[in-house]
Amino acid sequence: MGGLLSSLYETYQSTLAYTALNSLLALSVYTSLSCGQLALGSAGFAALGAYSAALLTLQAHWPFPLALAAGLAVPALLAVPLGLPVLRLRGVFLAIATVGFGEVVRLCLVNWEYVNGAQGIVAIPQKTAVWMIYLALGVVLFLLARLRGSKWGFALEAIREDEPAARSMGIPVARYKLSMLVLGAAMAGLAGALEAHFTFMVAPNGFTFGRVVDMLVFAVVGGARLYLGPVVGAAFLTLLPELLRELAPRVGIEAGPLRLMVNGLILLAVILFLPSGLVSLPGRLRAMRAARSPP
Amino acid sequence: MGQQAVNGLFLGSIYALFALGYTLVFGVLDILNLAHAAVFMLASFVALVLVSDLHLHLLLALPCTMALAGLLGLLLERVAFRPLRSRADSNVAGLISSLAAATVLEAVALEVFGPNVARFPFGTLPAGDPAHPLHLFGAVVSRLQLTIIGVAVILFLSLTFLVKRTRLGREVRAVAESPRAARVLGVNVDRAIAASFFISSALGGAAGVLYGLAFNSISPDMGRSVELKGLSVIIVGGMGSMPGAVLAGFALGLTEVFVVAHLGGSWRDAVSFAGLFLILVLRPHGLLGAVSPREA
Amino acid sequence: MRPSGRAPAILAFAALVAASPARAADATVKIGACLSLTGPAALYGAQQKAGIQAAVDEVNREGQIPGVKLEVVIEDDASTKEEGIAVYQRFIGRDRVSAILGPTLSNTATAVDPLAQSAKVPVVAISNTAPRGITDIGDYVFRVSLTEGQVIPSALKRAHARLHFGTAGVLYGNDDAFTQAGFGVMRGALEALGVRILGTQTFAKPDRDYNAQLTALIALKPDILVVSALVENAAGIVTQARQLGWRGPILGGNGFNSAAFVGNAGPAAEGVLVGTSWNRSSPDPANQAFLRLMAGRGVEPDQFCAQAYTGVLVIARALAASGGKGGREDLRAALAKVKDLDTPLGRFSFLENRDGNHEPALQEVRDGRFQIAP
Repeated sequence: MGGLLSSLYETYQSTLAYTALNSLLALSVYTSLSCGQLALGSAGFAALGAYSAALLTLQAHWPFPLALAAGLAVPALLAVPLGLPVLRLRGVFLAIATVGFGEVVRLCLVNWEYVNGAQGIVAIPQKTAVWMIYLALGVVLFLLARLRGSKWGFALEAIREDEPAARSMGIPVARYKLSMLVLGAAMAGLAGALEAHFTFMVAPNGFTFGRVVDMLVFAVVGGARLYLGPVVGAAFLTLLPELLRELAPRVGIEAGPLRLMVNGLILLAVILFLPSGLVSLPGRLRAMRAARSPP
Repeated sequence: MGQQAVNGLFLGSIYALFALGYTLVFGVLDILNLAHAAVFMLASFVALVLVSDLHLHLLLALPCTMALAGLLGLLLERVAFRPLRSRADSNVAGLISSLAAATVLEAVALEVFGPNVARFPFGTLPAGDPAHPLHLFGAVVSRLQLTIIGVAVILFLSLTFLVKRTRLGREVRAVAESPRAARVLGVNVDRAIAASFFISSALGGAAGVLYGLAFNSISPDMGRSVELKGLSVIIVGGMGSMPGAVLAGFALGLTEVFVVAHLGGSWRDAVSFAGLFLILVLRPHGLLGAVSPREA
Repeated sequence: MRPSGRAPAILAFAALVAASPARAADATVKIGACLSLTGPAALYGAQQKAGIQAAVDEVNREGQIPGVKLEVVIEDDASTKEEGIAVYQRFIGRDRVSAILGPTLSNTATAVDPLAQSAKVPVVAISNTAPRGITDIGDYVFRVSLTEGQVIPSALKRAHARLHFGTAGVLYGNDDAFTQAGFGVMRGALEALGVRILGTQTFAKPDRDYNAQLTALIALKPDILVVSALVENAAGIVTQARQLGWRGPILGGNGFNSAAFVGNAGPAAEGVLVGTSWNRSSPDPANQAFLRLMAGRGVEPDQFCAQAYTGVLVIARALAASGGKGGREDLRAALAKVKDLDTPLGRFSFLENRDGNHEPALQEVRDGRFQIAP
C-alpha cells in the first residue's frame, strides 16, 4: 500500500506542485480584482521573482530562503513605480498597461545576454519541495482570510463596488490599490522563484501574455469574490488537462485542440451563467432547490 | 530611406485596418473584444479555402470572406456580449467572454486546419515581372504591397463614408455617445450594436486576408503578434477614434520599421509598448481620442 | 515397460517442457516519447511522431530485437515545461518505460531530463540542439540530433570554399533557444573563417514582416546573408529578401531543412544553401529505405522525422545488444556503446559525451528540391 502511494506521488508530484503554484499565481491576480482592478502584470512579476532568485542561487550562492525572499521582494518593489502612474487608469486601460509591462519584462529578458536570452538559465538546483509550495499557499490564504473581516477587507470591497463613493467616504483609494498590487506582485514573484527551483530552469517563454491570461482565467472560473475562489479555479483547471489527456483518444479529437476548446467553453459558461465562479455553485444549487420545494 | 518608408506604410496599413475593428467595438460598447484576433485568423483560413479549394478569384474571395467574418461577428455579439450588457461590470466580463470565444475559435482552427503554416497558392495575386519591379521614391515596391495598401485605403474611405454619411452610421455614433439617449431618440440600439460588430469583424477579416497575402503565412497562432500591437495602436490613437486608429496604425508601422533599421530587430516590439506607456501615462485620451480612460 | 521406468521419463519430459522458452508471445519493452504535438512546436512534433511510429513498426516487422516487441507510448507536452514534467513523471512512475525519446524543445529538456537522470531512465534526445545543458545533465542523457555547433561550421566552411565570401549579414530569431544558439555558432564559425560580419539583425518567432531588417542588412552590401530561423519564419525571410532585390547567396541553419520551407517559399527558395544534419538526397541504402517507407505512409519527411526515426533505431540496437530485457541500467550501458549504426542520418555513433556523431551535409535548393550542394 505504501508502495502504491509513493508511486502515485512520484507520478503526480508535478501536478500537485503546479496546482499550488497556479493557485498562488491566480491569487496574485485576485488581490487586485478584489478591489475592482484588472491588473495583469503577474507574468512579469513572476519572471522578475524567478530570475532574481535563480541568479542569486547560482551566481551569489545565497541560501534558498534568502533567494526566495529576494524573489518576493524584487517584484514587490518594482510594483510601486509601475502602480503609481497606471492605477489611475480604469478597467480595460489598466489591463492593457499591465499587460504591456509584462511584455516589456519578457522582451528585456529575451534580449539580455547575461541571462542567456531565449535559452534561459539552466541547471538550477532543485531546492523546492512540494510541501514548501503548499506552506507558502497556506500562509497566503491565512493572510487573505485575516484581511477579509478586517477594516482592510471592507475598504477593498467598498472600492470594488463603487470607487467614487468609497473615495468620498474618505477611504485612501490609491493607497489600497497600490498595496494590493504590491501584494500580488510579491505572491507572483514567490511563485516564480519556487517554480524556478522546482523545474531546474527558467526561460522568458514561460512568462508570456498567455500565462497571465491563464491566471486570470483560474481566478474568474473559481470565483473572484472570495479568496478561496482562485484556488478552486486553479486546482480544477490544472487537473483538467490530465483528465482530458485520458479522455481525448476516446472522443476522437486531438488532445491539444480539445483542451483549448474545453477551457474556452468552461470560461464562457462561467462568465455567462455563473459569474461568481465555481465557488458560488453550491450556494446557487441550494437556492434553486429551495425555490423549487413547496413553501 | 525610401524603402523603409514604403515598408512602414505597408505594415502600417495592415495594423490600421486591424485596429479599426477593435476601436469601433470599443467606442460603441466600451468593451475590448479579444476575439477580434481570432476572427482575423479564421478569415485568412476561409479565404485560403475559397481560393485554393473552390478556385474563387481573389477579387471575389475577399468580399465573401469579409461578409463571412461579419457574420461571425454577429454570432459573437449574440452569444458572448449581448447577455452581459446589463451587468455592472460589463466591460471586464465582456473582455473575459471575448477571451473565451477566442480560445474556442483557435481550438476550432487548430482542429480543422492543423498547426502547420499554410500559404495562398502561387499566382493568387499576379506578381508581375520579378526582373522589372516597380519603383516608388527610389524604393522597390511589389504589386502585392501596392494592392494591399490600395485595398486598405479603399476600406478606410468606405468606412468613413458609412459612418459619416449613412443613417446606420449616425445611429452607431449615437449609440456610442449614449445608448440611453439613442434609444429615446428611436434608434434601434440592438441593431446598431449588431451592425457595429458586423463591420468591425468584416474589417478584421479583411486585415487577416491581406496579412495572409502579404506574408504568405497562415496559421492558427497568426493573430498573436498583431493582437498586442493592435492594442497599442488603439490606445495611442485614442480608444473609440477611427481616424486615430488609422493614424496610429501608420505611425506604428513607420516607427517600428525605422527602429528596426537603426536599433535592430530586438527593439521592434519595445516601440509599441513604449508608445503605449507614454500615452497612458501622459495623455491617456490618446492622440485623437474622446473616451476618458481615467476614473470617473 | 517397467512401472518405475515411466515416472522418470514423464518427469524428464515435464522438466524439458518447463525449461523451454515461451514461444507464444514476445516480451514487450515499452519506451515513451514526449513530443510537442500542440503549441508552437507542433509542426516538429508531428514529424517526430510520424518518424517514431514508422520506426517502431519497422523494428517489430523486421524483428530487429530478437524475442522482443517494441511498444511506444506517445504523449503531448504542449510545448511547455509543465506538461513535459507531468509526461516524464508518468513515463517514469506509472508506465515504467525503459527509455524516453524527446522532448521536442531544448527549453523543456533542461527542465525534464534532470528528472530522468535522477530516476536513472535513459533519455535519447531527438531534436535538442542547444550546445550546453542537454547531455551535460548526466550520463543517462543521450542525443542523436547534431547540435548547431556540429552542423554550421562545416556547412559554412564548404560554402566558403565554393563562394569565397568575405563579408556577411546575419539575421536570427532571438526569442527561441534553438535559433539563438544557432546564431552563436554562426557568429563563431564566420569569425573563424575570417569573414567580417557587417551587420546583425534579429526578429521574433511570431513576426512575419522582415522587410525592415532585410532592408537594413542589404543596404550594407554583404557578400552573403546568413540566417538562423525556424521553418515558419524561413520561407517569409527568403521570399521578402528576394522581393527587396537581394540576388546574392543565402545560407540557412537546421530550421530550413523542411519540405514546408521549399513549398512555402516557392521560386524564392532556389539556390538557398542549408546546413543540415540530415542529407535528404543521400544515396545510402538506409536513407533510401527510410524515404521509401515514409512515402509509403504518406509522409514527406523532414530532418525532425529522420532524427526521431534514428532515435528509435539507436534504442533498438542498444536493446538487442543488452539482451532485450529492457533494464534501464543495461540499456544505458548499451546505448553508450552504439557505434557505426546505419541510419538515415548516415553512419551513427555516440561520442564520449553522449552527443551524436555523423557527417553533416550542405544542401542547396535546386528545381524545387533539396539536393547536395556541389
